[in-house]
Amino acid sequence: MELSSMNELIEVCTKEKKNIGEVMLKMEEENSAKDKDTIVQLMEKRLKQMEETIRRGQTSTDLASSGISGGDTRKMNNYLKHQQPLSGDYISDAMTFALATSESNAQMGVIVATPTAGAAGVLPGVLFSLQRHAGTSYKDLVMGLFTASALGYVIANRAFVSGAAGGCQAEIGSATAIAAGTIVELKGGTPEQAVHAAAIAMKSLLGLVCDPVAGLVEVPCIKRNVIGTSIAFSSADLALAGIESRIPCDEVIQAMYNIGKDMPSALRETALGGLAATDTGKQVKERLFGQKSSCRVNNKPRDM
Amino acid sequence: MEFRSCFDIIGPVMVGPSSSHTAGVVSIGTFIYEWLRGSPERADIIFYHSFAETYQGHGTEKALLGGLLGMDMADLQVKQAIEIAEQEGVHYTLQFEESCPYYDHPNTVVVRARRKKHVVTAGGVSLGGGLSKIFMLNGEMVDIYLRTSDDISKVAAQYCRDEERAMEGGV
Repeated sequence: MELSSMNELIEVCTKEKKNIGEVMLKMEEENSAKDKDTIVQLMEKRLKQMEETIRRGQTSTDLASSGISGGDTRKMNNYLKHQQPLSGDYISDAMTFALATSESNAQMGVIVATPTAGAAGVLPGVLFSLQRHAGTSYKDLVMGLFTASALGYVIANRAFVSGAAGGCQAEIGSATAIAAGTIVELKGGTPEQAVHAAAIAMKSLLGLVCDPVAGLVEVPCIKRNVIGTSIAFSSADLALAGIESRIPCDEVIQAMYNIGKDMPSALRETALGGLAATDTGKQVKERLFGQKSSCRVNNKPRDM
Repeated sequence: MEFRSCFDIIGPVMVGPSSSHTAGVVSIGTFIYEWLRGSPERADIIFYHSFAETYQGHGTEKALLGGLLGMDMADLQVKQAIEIAEQEGVHYTLQFEESCPYYDHPNTVVVRARRKKHVVTAGGVSLGGGLSKIFMLNGEMVDIYLRTSDDISKVAAQYCRDEERAMEGGV
C-alpha cells in the first residue's frame, strides 16, 4: 500500500473504517517485514525518548555552545508557577515542552526528529500537553505518532520537510501541520477533520523562510517550534468546530512546494538572508566563526 | 517516494542539532569504523561546501569523529567526541574546501583513514533526515545507502564481502 495524497488517505480510512493512525500502522506492517507488536514497540521507544528529552530539558539551565540559546525553559516554568498564562493550560504547557526539546536539540542532547531535528519540539510539545490536560493515555499517544507519521509521510513525499529544501514553511510548517492533525484525531475528530486541521496549520505558515542566525538550529528555530504548538492547537480547534480549509490539503501542500521552489537560496538555511542577515545576526556569526582557519589538527588549541 | 516508513517521519532518535549535519554524518563515520573493523589511528577529513561553512555550529566534526569511534547517532558521547578521539589515540586533520570535485551536493565529506595496515578513502554525502550515502570508496564511485533503520555494520560487512569476492574472482 502507498499513500500518495491526503485525499487517498481519507478514502482508505473510510473504506477500511480505520482512523489515520491505524491505516499507517497497517501500511507499515505491509511494507516492512515487521509484525504489528514490533512496530508499536519501536514507536513507543520514540515516545519514551520524547518524554525523557522533555524531562531533562525542564531542569536544564545549560546554554548551547554558541551561547545564543538555552535557559528559557526554566524562565517559562517559573512564569507558569507564579502566573496564569494568557494562552491557557494546553498551549502554555505545549510551548514549555517544545522549548525544552528544542533547547536540548541545540545542546546536542538526544531528540527524536519529527520530521527533522530542527522541528523536533512541536509534536512532543502537543502530545505531552494532551497527556497532562486531556488525560490522553500513553497507548493513545503512541497511536498519535502513527497519525502524525501518516500525515508527514504524505507531505514529505509530495513536497519537502527540510528548511534547506523548502524554507521553514517546509520544516516547522510540516511539523505543525502534522501536530494539528494528530491533536484532532486524538480528540476524536474524523480523518477529514484531521486533514483540514493540517491544511489550516500549514496555510498559516506558508512562505516562512529559513534564516537561522550563523546557520545554527537556534535563532529563530527554537521559538518557531514553540509558536508552532499554539498554531497546532488553534488549527485543531477550528477543525473540531467543523470549520474546513477552503483550499484542499493536497493543494495547500502543492502551494508550499511551489513557494519553496521559488524561494531564493539566501532564505533556505544558508544563513545569508532574513534574520541571519540582521546586524545582530551578523555579529553573532562573526563572533562565533570569524576566525575560521583553513586547516586544523586535533592537538592545537581550539577556538570554540 | 523517498520516504518509505513511519520511522522516516518519526525518527531517527539522535543527538541534535541537525538530522543532515549531525545524524547523517555519524553514519558516514560509522561506516568507515565498520570498514576498518575499529577506530582509525589517523583520519584526514575534508569538509566541503555547507559542511565547511557550518560544521562548528552543527557539531559536524564531532558527529564524524563519533562515528569513527564506533558511536551511534543517539550516543550522547558524540558531544565529547573530540576529547574521546584524543584519549583513544585517533589523530585527525580537518580541511575545508568549497565544492566537492567528486559529488555535487552541499553536504559532502571525504575521509582518508588508516588503521594498522588498512587504509580507506571514503566519500560520504548526507542527504537529509538522517539518510546518508557513501558515494566513493577507494577511488571507485559507489551507491551505498545508510538508512537510519539500517545496521551499518551489516551494510559494511556485506560490501566488504562483495569486494573480496570480486577480488578473488579476479574482476
